[in-house]
Parts: sequence; structure tokens; C-alpha cells
Amino acid sequence: MDLRLGDIPLRQTVELTHIDLPAEEMEPLLERGVLPGCRICPVRSSPSGDPIVSVDGSLLALRRETAACLCVRLLTALQDAS
Amino acid sequence: MATLAMDPCASCAQHRAQSLVRLGLSPDKWDYLIALAGNPNTGKSTVFNALTGLRQHTGNWPGKTVVRAEGAFEHAGEHVKIVDLPGTYSLQAGSADEEVARDFVLFGRPDVTVVVVDATRLERNLNLVLQVLEITDRVVIFLNLMDEAKRHGIAIDVKKLESRLGVPVVPGVARQGSGIDELLDAAHDVATGARVTDPFRSDSYASSVEQAIADLVPLVERTFPDVPNARWVALRLLNADEAVQEAVRSGELGQLAHDDSDALVEPPPEFERHALLDASVRLRWDLPPDFHDLVTEHAFTVAEDIARSVQMEGLKKVGFTFDRKLDDLLTSRVFGFPLMLLILAVVFWITIEGANVPSSMLASLLIDTAHPWLKGVAASLSVPWWLDGFMLDGVYLATAWVIAVMLPPMAIFFPLFTLLEDFGYLPRVAFNLDSLFRRAGAHGKQALTMAMGFGCNAAGVVATRVIDSPRERLIAIITNNFSLCNGRWPTQILIATIFIGALAPSQLGGVVSAAAVVGIALLGIVAMFVSSWLLSRTVLRGEATSFSLELPPYRPPRILQTLYTSVIDRTLIVLWRAVLFAMPAGAVIWLISNITFGGTSVAEFAVDWLNPFGLLLGLNGVILLAYVVAIPANEIVIPTVLMLTVLTAGLAGGEGAGVMFELDSLGATEQVLRAGGWTLLTAVNLMLFSLLHNPCSTTIYTIYKETGSAKWTTVATLLPVAMGITVCFLVTQVWRLFAV
Repeated sequence: MDLRLGDIPLRQTVELTHIDLPAEEMEPLLERGVLPGCRICPVRSSPSGDPIVSVDGSLLALRRETAACLCVRLLTALQDAS
Repeated sequence: MATLAMDPCASCAQHRAQSLVRLGLSPDKWDYLIALAGNPNTGKSTVFNALTGLRQHTGNWPGKTVVRAEGAFEHAGEHVKIVDLPGTYSLQAGSADEEVARDFVLFGRPDVTVVVVDATRLERNLNLVLQVLEITDRVVIFLNLMDEAKRHGIAIDVKKLESRLGVPVVPGVARQGSGIDELLDAAHDVATGARVTDPFRSDSYASSVEQAIADLVPLVERTFPDVPNARWVALRLLNADEAVQEAVRSGELGQLAHDDSDALVEPPPEFERHALLDASVRLRWDLPPDFHDLVTEHAFTVAEDIARSVQMEGLKKVGFTFDRKLDDLLTSRVFGFPLMLLILAVVFWITIEGANVPSSMLASLLIDTAHPWLKGVAASLSVPWWLDGFMLDGVYLATAWVIAVMLPPMAIFFPLFTLLEDFGYLPRVAFNLDSLFRRAGAHGKQALTMAMGFGCNAAGVVATRVIDSPRERLIAIITNNFSLCNGRWPTQILIATIFIGALAPSQLGGVVSAAAVVGIALLGIVAMFVSSWLLSRTVLRGEATSFSLELPPYRPPRILQTLYTSVIDRTLIVLWRAVLFAMPAGAVIWLISNITFGGTSVAEFAVDWLNPFGLLLGLNGVILLAYVVAIPANEIVIPTVLMLTVLTAGLAGGEGAGVMFELDSLGATEQVLRAGGWTLLTAVNLMLFSLLHNPCSTTIYTIYKETGSAKWTTVATLLPVAMGITVCFLVTQVWRLFAV
């Protein structure tokens, strides 16, 4: 149920449902296009295991701790295909 | 530091409009004022350069412009002043650069604000656009990077975007200069009022929010009758925005309405201003608890809606996979770090190998040829010996030395570094290093400021403004000096070549020397981590804040422009600074060597007095004195050491007391140093001490300006010296234990 971005395998696109962070830490993410409802996809992980995600057409480097605060929802096969 | 230089080259490859006359630095008078705003890494600085002909240094990483740059140009017969604001994602004033940007849009009274928008990331960029539109009517949007958008398969309906936003939208590609003409025409029309805009403003929050706004707006309008957007002011007050509260408290907000005159407007009576603030505090109680989030989310929803309605995606994508493939390699678990080291090593190797020949050519020209000639001229004019000595042997030779030693490596290193920067590699370095910085309790963007420090520590210190947490910014400032700066490589390279490269067979000497210099640079990075860690565990206690960094797409570096920019912008300016500082230092060295008491010069007294302490550190008195004299400029350490060694060791040769000189070959330099008692240990310790000692005076001054604190400036100055003394002492003791 409570799926986090940190648990998503590479190259699987999911939908962001909720950001579990205080407002001042959430805002920089929102400004960079990480918005509830957006499609987000981990594309790579860094030498130390931090994720790079693709969101809104650009690449964003996050920390593992941040990724663990992003609640996501799997897309159904139908949505995925579209 | 954002450096500005005049553009002497009117015929450069950049597209140039017929009607556009670049005026370089700002004149005193202008007909209208343009503010240039935009998200980081959207090409704002490129637009600025295209307009003004100034070479504001541009780099492919977020947050390059951390200070406001100003320039001017002439368009259609009018003088236009333009101010390049730091790139920000919003105007919430969360960090130092956001504050600069917002204060200017609010209180700088620009006649028109041009927002540079990345066409490939419209939705996110619109967030800032909408915030600017809330504040001012006079806005023009420059839709930049249209070529990248096309490559990424994004098409934008410009006309529709224009009608939704209610302000002119000009598409273009700033790097190629396309769209600049149209942008100027639109900016001119809006600034002069020839074109009246109808900016989009969102106006539908939850009813309780709307009620609070409706209650507050009349109060704002009564207190500040001419304010252009009372609704925005009310909303910011309800949001407890400190900058806006302060503007109300001081009455400065009243100035906003009068952007055409310089006359001061009488602020409204104090009690009215306080009544307004009190009302906003009272109304805030009635707001829903998640009000702040509501407002933020609403803004993003609007931006998303507009972006969706004007964007057509799904066109053929080109060139995108290359980026991903390259990133797979450069940020990979396995190859990320080794490739980083390899790239660093190759850059150093090219610098070391390439600088040899021009360096000795410059030395033979300036020192072997010009100096005797000048001496001859002085002798024929019967100039008194002390004036001739002071000017030619002191000031001239110190300057000549700095130019001969520094110019070639800088002219090679800076363009190489700038090419990497332009290409987009630096954010990848920051990303690779972030986990290490986080473990040290520091900010990932410290890697970017560290990289700037490899060029110049003062520049690195200014660049820390991209870090929003004050604690982490202070750590980045204090530890920036551990980035081996440009003034210190010549020392590293020379000593590594003489003492360490010589240990290897001659054909491998260059490689071994380069490896030794990379080793020292890496040690500096280690020192940076260790001291960051120590600081965040002790005096600057705290956890690393969350971090997100945009990785910009790779962009093909513009080779010719990069060469031009980095030579003018960085090399010559850094060199000029070095020369300014070297001249007085040369004078001091000549003086202390020639003022004598009972036949012994001041310099010899000082060297004798420092010698026991120096030997304890595996150095000697000469080196320590050279470091004291060289506080203004690290570049002159080696010439000073040579000169003082000849003086105190009583060697024949050299040019006389207090005369800096260059030796014609590495071999001769080595002979002087060995005669001065130098061993491999001295060389190793000198390389360590050159890495770990106080910042130069320019950097110290910059740290003071940036922190505004004598305490932290002292810490930043003394911490590296303490580390240097400790490390050299330990190395020496261990060395002696095993060597005997």
C-alpha cells in the first residue's frame, strides 16, 4: 500500500501521490517539477546508491532519504501502455 | 566571482543584430532598465552576453550566476541597461540568490522584466513566470532552447502561450543568437508602454482563503494606494513572507508604484502600516492549517495546466539516448569515480606538459632579455642604485616571474576546465560526490564550489551562495581553501617535476609528476571532507538537509567561444590580480634583503629565527619566510624561496640581494635548492604545506565579505595552517623514524 519511490526498480515509471516532507523541504522538489500526480521514473543510481530520476523531461539527482519520502502508486498496465 | 570584461572583439562569431550596439559595462544614463530573470541553467547568461557583448562567464550547471551582473547596450537609438539576476526556481526568497532576484524585481524598479524560459521544461519554468506576473505587468517571456525542445520532440504553440499568459512570448535559441532581435523589440514596446500587457493572475483559491484575501486587499490599497498588485501583497502577507512584511513595516513598498521617477515617495503613516500588519496576522488565524501548501500547490497546478494546453509532445525524439548512455558511464557505480580521476589527471597532464615550453620562452624573454636591457637603460640614465634595485629587481622581476610561471598553465587549464563545464560534466561530479559530502554533514553542491576553487578560491567562496542552508554554506566557505587553487599549481608542478618525477625513468617523469600533483589535489579533497565532518560534529553541528540537483542535458561545448571567454574572463583577470599582489610583495622582498643591521639583512635575521621551527616541520626558515611574504599571492612562493636560498646559503650566482630570478633550467633550480639543504622530505613537505596553509589575502577578504563575521574568517584562515603544521610535523617525524 504505502509504496515509496525508493522501492521502485530502475526504469519503472510510477505516479507520485504524496510527498511526505515538511513544506520547506518539499518546495525545492515542487519547483523542480516533482509534483503530486506527475510521472516519475528512477533511471539510474549513483556510485553510492542515490537515485537519479527522470521527471518532467529532465534528470534530477535525489538522496535516498528523499526518495524514501516520496509516496508513489504503480501505473496500471493500460496507463503504462499509453 | 562573476567577472566582467570589455569585449574588444566586435567581429566575433556570435550573431549580431544590425541595430544592436553593445556598450559593455553600464553607462551612467539609460533610457530603460531590463531585469533578466529565469530558472537556473536556462541560458540567462547567454542571453545577457548576446545582448551586451560582455562575457559573463556561462557554464552548463545550475546556479552559475550567483551575483547580479550588469551591462548595457544600445537598441533603436536608446540606451538600455540590463541586469542579469541569479537563476532561481521561485521568488520565495529561500536562499541568498533567490533573495537577490526577488528584491530586484520588487524594488529595483525595472522597466521590463525578461523571463528566460527553458522550452524543454515549460511546466516547471512557468512557476517562476507566474510569480513574476503576480508582481509586475511589464514582462516579456523569452522561450529559449527551442532547438533542444525540437530534439526532445516537444513543440510549443507560442501564440497560445502568449494569449494565456497575456504578455509577449518570443521563441529563440540564445546560443545561436536567434530570436534576440525580436526579444529586444518586444522588451522595448513593453518598457515604453507602446504595448500594454494583460498578465495572467490566478484568482481561485478555497473560499476561506479568498475571504481572507478579500478582507486584506482594501487595507493594502488604503495604506499603499499606488501599489500595482494589492492582491499579491495581501497573499504574501497572509503567507507571512518576511521580505514583504519588512517592506510594509519600512514603507518601502510604496516605492513600487513609482517606477518612473527617482523621487522618494512619502511612506504612509506608521500606525497605518502597523494596522495592516496586525490585520494580516489576525486573518492568518482563520486560514486552513495547510494554507501554505494550498497556495503552493495551486500555483503548480496552474502552471501544469497552461503547459499542457500549449505543448505538443510525441514528435520524433533525437539525440536523447546519447545523454543517457553517457550518463550510464559517467555516473556509474563502477566507472564514475575512476573516470572522474582520469579526467582530472588528463587535464593536469596536458597542463603540465603543455606549459613547459611557453613558460621557458616567457622567462627568457621577460627575465633573461628584458631585465638586463632595463638595467642597462637605468645605468645609462644613472638612476640611483636603490631606486633601480627597488623597481627593477624587486617590483619588475616579481611581476615577470608571476607572468612567466602562471600564464601558460592558466591559459591551458582554464579553457580545458571551461570546456568540461560547458559540456555539463560538473553537476555529474557533484552528484557522484554528494554521498561523501552528506556523510561529512555538508551539502552536495559543495562539490560545485570545490570545483570553482580549483580555479580560484575567492571565486569558490562566492559560488557558495548556491547553497541555501546557512550552516552548510559556512562549511563550504571555510573548507574551500582545500581546493588546490591556480596560484599553487606552479609550485606543485615544479617541485613534483624536480624531486618526484626525477625518481622515475625519464620517459615516465611527466606521468609520475602529474600523478603526484593529482595525489595532492585528492589529498586536498580528503582534507575538505575531514574538516567538513569535524565542523559539522562540533561548532557547526547539524544534519545534512535534503538535496536535489538537476542534471542538465549535455550540450556540445562551443570551443572557440570557450577559448575566448576563458582567456579573457578568467586567465587575464586572475593574472592581473596576481600581478597587482606580486608587485608590492616583490618590493617587500627586495627591501628586507637590502636593509641590513651590522652586515646582516632583515631577511637573514628572519630566516635564522624561523629555521629551527621550519626544520621541525621538515621545511626550513626560508620556506616559512617565503610563505609569510607570499600571503598576498601564492604564486611567488617559489621565486622567493630561490632568492632567499641564494642569499642565505651564500651561493654564487643569482643576481644580488633581493633579486628574484628564474634559473634557465630545472637542473639549475635543483642545484640551488639542494645547496640550500633541500631533500626529498623538504619537497614533499613543501607540497603538503602549499596545499594546507592560510588562504591568500584576496580569499580572506572575500570570506569576510561573504560571512560578515570576523570569527568565521579567522577560523577559515587558521584552520588550514593548523592542519598544515600538524601534517608536516607528523610526516617529518615518521619519515625520520624510518629513514635513519
